[in-house]
Amino acid sequence: MAIRVNPKIIDDLEGYGAEDVHLCYHCGNCSAVCPHADEFNVFPRRPMRYLQMGLERKLETSLEPWLCYYCGQCSDQCPRGAEPGETMMSLRRWLISRYDITGIARLFFKSTKVELAAVIIVALLTGIFFLGFGFWQGDINVYDGSNAFLPSSFIHNFDLALGFLVALFIGLSAFRFWWFSMGGKSAVPIPWWLYIKKVYLLPWHFFTQKRFADCEKETTRRIYLPWLAHLGLMLGYITMLFIVMVFVKQLQAGPEINWSVHVFGYLASLGLLIGAVYMLCGRLKKNRTQYQRSHGSDWIFLVLLFIIALTGVTQHILHRSGLLLAANIVYIVHLMVVVPWLLRMPFTKWAHMFLRPLGMYFSAVRNEALARQKSGIETTVQARKVA
Amino acid sequence: MRTGIFFCQVEENNRLNVAAVAKYAANLPNVETVQELGIQPRLDAKDLAGLVHSGNLERIVIAGDMPGYFKPVFTKAMALAGHDPLEVRLASFREHGASGSTTLERAKAIVACAAFGVPFALAVVPGEKPVQPTTLIIGAGIAGIQAALEIADAGKPVCLVERFGTIGGHMAMFDKTFPTLDCSACILTPKMVSVAQHEMIRLLTNSEVIALSGSPGSYRVQIKCKARMVDVDACVACNICSEVCPVEVASEFDAGIARRKAVYIPFPQAVPNAYLVDAENCLYVQSAGKKCGACVKKCPKECIDLTQKDEIIEIEVGNIIIATGYDVLRADNIEHYGYGILPNVLTALEFERLTNASGPTGGKIVTKSLKLNKRTKLEEWVFDANGPAPKSVAIIHCVGSRDQNYNSYCSRVCCMYSLKFAHLVKEKLPGADCYEFYIDMRAFGKGYEEFFERIKHEGTFVVRGRTAAISELNGQMMVTGEDIIQDKLIQFPVDMVLLAVGLIPAHGTEELSRMLGLTRDEDGWFSELNYNGRPTDTEKGCIYVAGMCQSPKDIPDAVAQASAVAAGVLSSISSGKGIGHRGSVTLSEIEARAKSLQAK
Repeated sequence: MAIRVNPKIIDDLEGYGAEDVHLCYHCGNCSAVCPHADEFNVFPRRPMRYLQMGLERKLETSLEPWLCYYCGQCSDQCPRGAEPGETMMSLRRWLISRYDITGIARLFFKSTKVELAAVIIVALLTGIFFLGFGFWQGDINVYDGSNAFLPSSFIHNFDLALGFLVALFIGLSAFRFWWFSMGGKSAVPIPWWLYIKKVYLLPWHFFTQKRFADCEKETTRRIYLPWLAHLGLMLGYITMLFIVMVFVKQLQAGPEINWSVHVFGYLASLGLLIGAVYMLCGRLKKNRTQYQRSHGSDWIFLVLLFIIALTGVTQHILHRSGLLLAANIVYIVHLMVVVPWLLRMPFTKWAHMFLRPLGMYFSAVRNEALARQKSGIETTVQARKVA
Repeated sequence: MRTGIFFCQVEENNRLNVAAVAKYAANLPNVETVQELGIQPRLDAKDLAGLVHSGNLERIVIAGDMPGYFKPVFTKAMALAGHDPLEVRLASFREHGASGSTTLERAKAIVACAAFGVPFALAVVPGEKPVQPTTLIIGAGIAGIQAALEIADAGKPVCLVERFGTIGGHMAMFDKTFPTLDCSACILTPKMVSVAQHEMIRLLTNSEVIALSGSPGSYRVQIKCKARMVDVDACVACNICSEVCPVEVASEFDAGIARRKAVYIPFPQAVPNAYLVDAENCLYVQSAGKKCGACVKKCPKECIDLTQKDEIIEIEVGNIIIATGYDVLRADNIEHYGYGILPNVLTALEFERLTNASGPTGGKIVTKSLKLNKRTKLEEWVFDANGPAPKSVAIIHCVGSRDQNYNSYCSRVCCMYSLKFAHLVKEKLPGADCYEFYIDMRAFGKGYEEFFERIKHEGTFVVRGRTAAISELNGQMMVTGEDIIQDKLIQFPVDMVLLAVGLIPAHGTEELSRMLGLTRDEDGWFSELNYNGRPTDTEKGCIYVAGMCQSPKDIPDAVAQASAVAAGVLSSISSGKGIGHRGSVTLSEIEARAKSLQAK
C-alpha cells in the first residue's frame, strides 16, 4: 500500500505547541526513560519519527499520545532539547482536533484569540439570556422557590440540554477516535470479545489515573503532588458535574444546608480550587517540566475553572447569609462562565478527560490483539518447523 | 570608484555599534552613499538596481556579520543596473574577528579595506620582530613531546613545562591505540626517553607557568617549579620511601582505581625516572615537620629533602606552544548512569587503566569486589586481580557529548576508543558478551570504518540507541535503552558498564588563556586564528596551539598538529623574525596599508 506523506504536518503541529520536533536525532533516550512505553508502544520517539517523516495517517491511528501523562522525564533528559514531552502534549491537542468533526477544535488551538472571543461572546449571550429570563418571570431578590430569579427547575432542564449537547460532541469525537485507531483505519483485526474483557479498564483509568502515579515511580525523588492535584481536580469536577446535573434543586434550596448533597459539593469545590490553584501556580512559576510551556487554551481553561469554583462557592455563601440580591448576581456571573466553559469542552484539551481513559482502554485491547497475533505467527512458524 | 556601502545584519549584535561604523564609513574617500538596512532586510534586486543607478555606484560594499548571505541580490542589482557585478565587496565582521575589546576599531578597518577593494588579510600584516631562539612548550603530552623533539632535533633550544610529575600525558595511560591496536607505551616511551636525554630540551616537570610579559619574539615567562623534594639525579627509584610512607591517596595516573603513597612515582617508566613528594598529602609537610619523615630516614641515597621550597624561575623565550590537552567530563554529573553509586560503572580512563598491563590488575578485566579497608574499617569496592570476570559488558557512547545538557559538541574520539574497548573485552574475555550503544558511529579516519566492521565481525553487539539508565535490581545491574533499528525497548542484565565520557578542556585552561591573553571558543577550547588556513596559530603572535587543547582530536591528528607547529616555530626562528600581534595593528596602519595597496 502506498504511504501518503504530508511534509507540512511538522509545521502544522507548531500551532499546537510542539516547535522543536525537527531537532530530534533519534537516540531513543526518551522512549527508554518513559515509564509507560511498552513492547507495542515505543514512544515518544516513534511519534517524533512519524512527525519528521510526515506520516500523518500513522499519527492519526496512533494511541501513544494518550498513554502519556507528561511527567517530563523525556524532555529533561533529551540531549537535543527536542521536547518529546511537549510533542506528545501537542499531539494530543492535534488528535482532539482531528477527532472533532466541526473544525472548532482546530480553530481554537490555532488561535487563542478566536477561542477567547468565542468564550466572551457565549458568556455575554448567556448573561443577556438569563437576565432577560429572570426579569421576565421572577424577582431578583428571591434566590429559590417558585418566584426565584433563576428557578432551579429551569436551571435543571437547561443543564440537561447543555449536558446532552456536550455529550453529543464528545460521543462523536470518541467514535471517530475509535474509528481511526481501532476500526476502519486500523490495520489490526480485533476480536469483539477483547473489548468486553478489558472494559473494566475504562472506569479504572478514569477514576484512579493510576498511570499518572506510575510516572513518579521511576524518578529519584517521588512526589505524587501533580498526580494528586490532577486527580483532585478531575474528581471534583466530575462530582460537581454530577450533582449539578441531577441534584441542582436540592443544591439551590435553602437557606438550611442539605448535608446529604452539600457535603459532596464542598468536597468537590475544595478539590477544584486546590487543583486549579496548584496548576495555575505551577504554570506561573514553571517549576516542573510539564509546566514550562503553556498553550493559550491551558490558561483559559484554568482561569475559567478558578472563576467557576470561586463564584459557585460565593453564591452559596451569599445565599446562606441572606444576601439574595448579591447571590443572584454572582449566580448570573457563575452561569456566564459555566456555559461557555462547558460548551468548549469537547473542542479543547479538556476532552482528554474522556479520551485518555478511552485511549488507554483501546491500547490495552490492541496490545492484547497484537500479542495474540504475534504468538499466533510464532505457533505457525513452529508448526511449520516441526512439519 | 564611486562606492555605496550597505549595512545588513543577519543577527542582532549588541556589542557592535553599527551606527558608529557607518558614520566612519561615510567619510571614506569615494563613498557616495551609506545605508543601514537593519537586521535580515527584505531586499529586492530591482529597488537596489534603482539605487545603484541613481547613485551611479561602481562598487558596492556589503557590511555585516555575514554579508555573503546578501551577496546574490546585490550582484543581481549591479547586473541589472548595467555595472560590473564583480564589484560587490564583502566586509564580514565575523570572518575577520570583530569581537572582544577591539570590536569597533576592527569593524571600521574591515569596512575600510572593502571600500578600498583590498582583501583584509593583505592589509593587516603585523610588524615583524627579532625572535629569541628558545621555545616554551606548555604541556608534555604526546603533542608537547612531539613538538619538543622536532624543534630540538633541528638544534633549537626548548623548555618543556609539565604540571604533573612525569611527562607522557594521557597517552601514557592507554593500553592500545586505535585502529591499529599498537601498544601505546611502545610508541610513546622511546619519545619520552629521548626528551629526557636531549641536550636541547630543558625539562621542567611538576611546574606551572604563572606569568607572561613581553611581546611576540621575546616573551618573559615566570615558571613555578613546585618542590619535588626528591633529588632527581640521585634517586634510583628503589621504592623504599613508598613502602614506608603511611599516607595513601587515589592515584591520578591510574585514574583513581588504584592507590598511591604521598611519596611516589606515577608509573615505573616515568620520565624523569625519579620519585616525588605530594606536598598536599605529606604528613611531614602538612605538620610543618612535627610528624612522620619516615621516608627521609629510610632513603638509602639520602636524596629526600622534605624542607625543599617551591621555586620561581624566569626565562626568556621567543615562541610559545600550548599543548595542555584535556580532562574527561565528570561522569557523576550524569545521574541516570549511576556512576559513583554502582561500583561497576567505569569511565573510559578507568577502563584504560584496568585493561593496561601496568594497571592495578595487571591487565585482567575483572569486576570490583568488596574488601575491608583496614585503616577506615569500612568495606570498599576495589579491583582485585583475582576478582570475578564480567560475563557481559555494555559500552555507552556519547556520555555527556552531543547533549545540550552537558557538552553539545562531539568529542570525536569516543566512538573509536569504545570500539577498541569492545575489541579488548572480546580478546581478553572471549566468552563475555559485549554491547555497544551508540547514536551515530563516527568512524571518520583512515582505517576506522574497517575497524568498526572488524569489531562487528568479532561478535560485539552494536546497538543503535542511547541508553537511558543504568539501574540495579537485586544486586544485578540492568541497562535500559531503545534499539532504534529494531524499534523496540530493551532491558537486560550486565556486569560492567563503560561510559565513553566526553572531553573537556584541561583544568586551568581558563586561567592560562587569561594569562596569555588568548581567546577561547564557546566550549572552552583555545581558538585558532583560522580554522582552515592557519589552524595552529593564535590571535597573538608567536603563540601556537597543538593537540587537544584546541579541540578534541585523536593521537594521529595531535601528532600531526604538533609537527605543524614545530615547522611554524622553526620558520620563525630561522627567519629571525617573529610575527607580531594581529590585534595590535591599529586602524590607521591598516588604512594606510590598504591605501598603498590600492594605489598599486
